[in-house]
Order: sequence, then C-alpha cells, then structure tokens
Amino acid sequence: MPRIHCSIVPPYLLDRIAGLGDPQLALASRAARHALVELDPVLQNRAEALSAPVRRGGAVVGTLHRRIHDAGTREELPGTLLREEGATATGDLAADEAYEGLGATYALLSEEYGRSSVDGMGKALHATVHYGMNYDNAFWDGEQMVFGDGDGEIFTRFTASLTVISHELTHGFTQYSTNLEYQGQSGALNESLSDVFGVLVEQRLLGEPAETASWLVGKGIFTDQVEGEALRSLKAPGTAFDDDVLGKDPQPATMADYVETSSDNGGVHINSGIPNHAFYLAATALGGPAWEGAGRIWYDAVVSGSVLTDCDFRTFAGTTHDAAVQRFGAGSREAGAVAGAWTRVGVPV
Amino acid sequence: MRIEIARSGGVGGLTRTWTVDVSSAEAEQRWLPLAEAEVPPVPGDERDRFTYRITIGYTEVHLPESRLEEPWRELIDRARAAAVPATPEDPPSSVEPGTAGTDAVRDPGAQA
Ligand SMILES: [Zn+2]
Repeated sequence: MPRIHCSIVPPYLLDRIAGLGDPQLALASRAARHALVELDPVLQNRAEALSAPVRRGGAVVGTLHRRIHDAGTREELPGTLLREEGATATGDLAADEAYEGLGATYALLSEEYGRSSVDGMGKALHATVHYGMNYDNAFWDGEQMVFGDGDGEIFTRFTASLTVISHELTHGFTQYSTNLEYQGQSGALNESLSDVFGVLVEQRLLGEPAETASWLVGKGIFTDQVEGEALRSLKAPGTAFDDDVLGKDPQPATMADYVETSSDNGGVHINSGIPNHAFYLAATALGGPAWEGAGRIWYDAVVSGSVLTDCDFRTFAGTTHDAAVQRFGAGSREAGAVAGAWTRVGVPV
Repeated sequence: MRIEIARSGGVGGLTRTWTVDVSSAEAEQRWLPLAEAEVPPVPGDERDRFTYRITIGYTEVHLPESRLEEPWRELIDRARAAAVPATPEDPPSSVEPGTAGTDAVRDPGAQA
C-alpha cells in the first residue's frame, strides 16, 4: 500500500471499509462507524502522528491476522509456524495463550479506540513461543513478540499472564505511534504505556471495573518458589514481590522516590511505577471500566501528536490533561481526576 | 581474577549478577581485548530485552543480548554454571542473588 494513504485516509475509515460485511469484525466496524460519526479531531491528528513509521508489506487493513511460531528452544526467529488466524487450538499451551492474548489486545485497540492493529494499518501480529532454553523473558523485537518458557525455578512460561502478552504488543503500538525513546523518563513512559494498556486488555476481557481489578502486571509467571504476586503493581508500586533471590520490587509510586540509575536504560522498568500509579489513581477516581474513561484519555494523549519521542513525565501529564479537557470539557470530573492523579504522584499539571 | 556479569532489563526489569574467576592470563589475553574492541550499542526498536554489563578489572562493556556473540556466551554460561552449588541443599547460594533494579554490585562471596 502506498504510504500516502497513511496520512490521507484516517485509519478508522479504512477500518470501517475493510470491516463491512465481515461478521467477525462486526464490533470493530461498529466502533469505527461511531468514530466516523464523531469526526473526532484527536483521531484525525493521529494520522499525522503516524506518518513517520515506514510500512512494509501488504497487510490487509482492518483484519486481525495472527501467526504463532515455535522456536523449539532455539534462539532463532521466527521459528516454525504453529497456528495461523482462524486455525483451531494447537494444544500447545503457550501457543494458544499467545494467540488468544494477541486477539484480546487487538480487540481493545480496534473495538474501543477504532485503531486497526498496532500500526493503525492492520499490521499482522506475529509471535514466537518456546524461545531459548530456560529463557526468562518476553520481548518485542521491533517486528514481533517473543516469549520464553522460563527456567522453572523463578519463572514459568511468559504467556501464562495475559498482561505480559498485551504489554509486549503495546510496545508495537508505541513504536508506531509516539515511538518514545527507550531511555530515562521517555523510556519509563514507554514502559508505563505497555503496563497501562496491558492491564486494560485483561480488565476489559474479564469485565472488571477499576475498583475490583488486580492492577497487576505478570501475575502467574512466577513459580510458587518466589515470594511475590507479579512483576509490577499499578495500584501499589513497590509491593509486587519481595523475595530472597529477586530482592524487593524497586518501583517508586511518586517522584519523591524517583530512581536515578544507569542500568535498565535508566530505570525504564523502575520509574514507570510513577506514571503507572498516576493512571491507577485517575482510573479509580473515575470508577467503572478503566478502558473507557482513563484509558480513553491516555489513548487520546498518545495519538494527539503532542507526545514527542523525548517526552518527559511533566509533558505527558499535561498532554493527558489536555486530552481529558478536549474530550470531556474543562472543569469535567475526568479532567479533574487526571490533574489530581498526577499531582498526587508529584507531577503537577 | 574475577569477572562480573550483570544482566539488567527484560520485561521484569530485574538485575541478576553472576561472577566467574579466571586466571589473570586468560582475562588479559582473551577477555580484555574483546571488551576493548566492542563499540557502544546503537539504540534499536527492541524492547524488554536483556542488557549485559561485563566488568573485567577496570574495564566495563555493555552488550545488548541481540549482539551477544559466541565468546561472550561461553563466559556467561561459565558464570551461570559457577553459580550452581556443588550441594543442591545449599539454599543461600542455590541461585545467585540479584539486585533488583539498582546498580549495586553484589559479591556472592561463595568462594570458600
Ligand atoms: Zn516493556
């Protein structure tokens, strides 16, 4: 597809066109039609924000297309194809979890926010499972997701938590939207967006309102030998684990405890606790389904065009507040909740 | 001579540290020249991958996992293997302690 289409035709319009007559996309096309009626300026700006990434290949816009590969404990990508879109479950637990997890993440973007896949252009979603021997990680390689099986002592398979799958796929969304630099505060925002949309995918799938959700990232990927619930908590950063081997969850909840470090790209997985907690505070102040209120506001901010690659916490906070004002009005409870949340984590807007 | 390997990053952001003892000759002839030949990593599109920091004396090299070639893999495997105790019932050193999220260096002190 020529790149010019990317900036002229809004992705949600493409979504709608592509979704017409396809029963599998009934919800997606309904959401897209809704967006079209609103003619939302925030969404229109998104097309410009997305003009930088270069698209390859001819993915069909508006169509969910998943491919799950098996690396067979080797560290080579993508591995052999295990399951393709529409195929029945393989019986391979990790492969089927990845398939479902990608579908749930796609559904949040498409049905709630009218976005066609991570790039807004229907990019096919590829994942590889059984990567490496005793491999203790999951990552996004710039093109696809990769999941290890864990070492069995600290970690089990990384697909065991839907939030890990949605976290990784959200790195794809970030790459094709703000492309936040993976260093320092912009890197912590990059991480935080993966955690935020990661938990929203799970909350939406389970129908959990903000009040009763766990707000945990990576629950279920530790073995029972580890003293810990999950990798991170948006509700209470710094409390997800406290273990002899792993140490204590190092995440701060507020700027007062911001960690200056040179490791982990300047603590991108540590200081993400601060914007994570701001999102939690905004979502619980509003109550109900977090993907509709606070999630919608964060999404609007991401695609507003105001979040540049070197964005810091203060600028991002201001952008979320602007997004809340634009969608819900100045003086709305949404705008108030967002301002209050950032103020409580030490990033006044 | 002790070589220290710290692995940071990953989706969990957990730092794990291992050490391996090598002779001074091996450190100087095999590992130091390799470390000094490494160029600083260029930021790419990879997210949540591991980064290895290898410290040999006063020389420190940072290697993204995606650029980890064979000689380094051998060194890391040796360090990780050295972390496994001879007696499986030895709980304090059954897995080397990591230092979650800080730059602090933990000496395993496992050498009797
Ligand atoms: Zn991440």
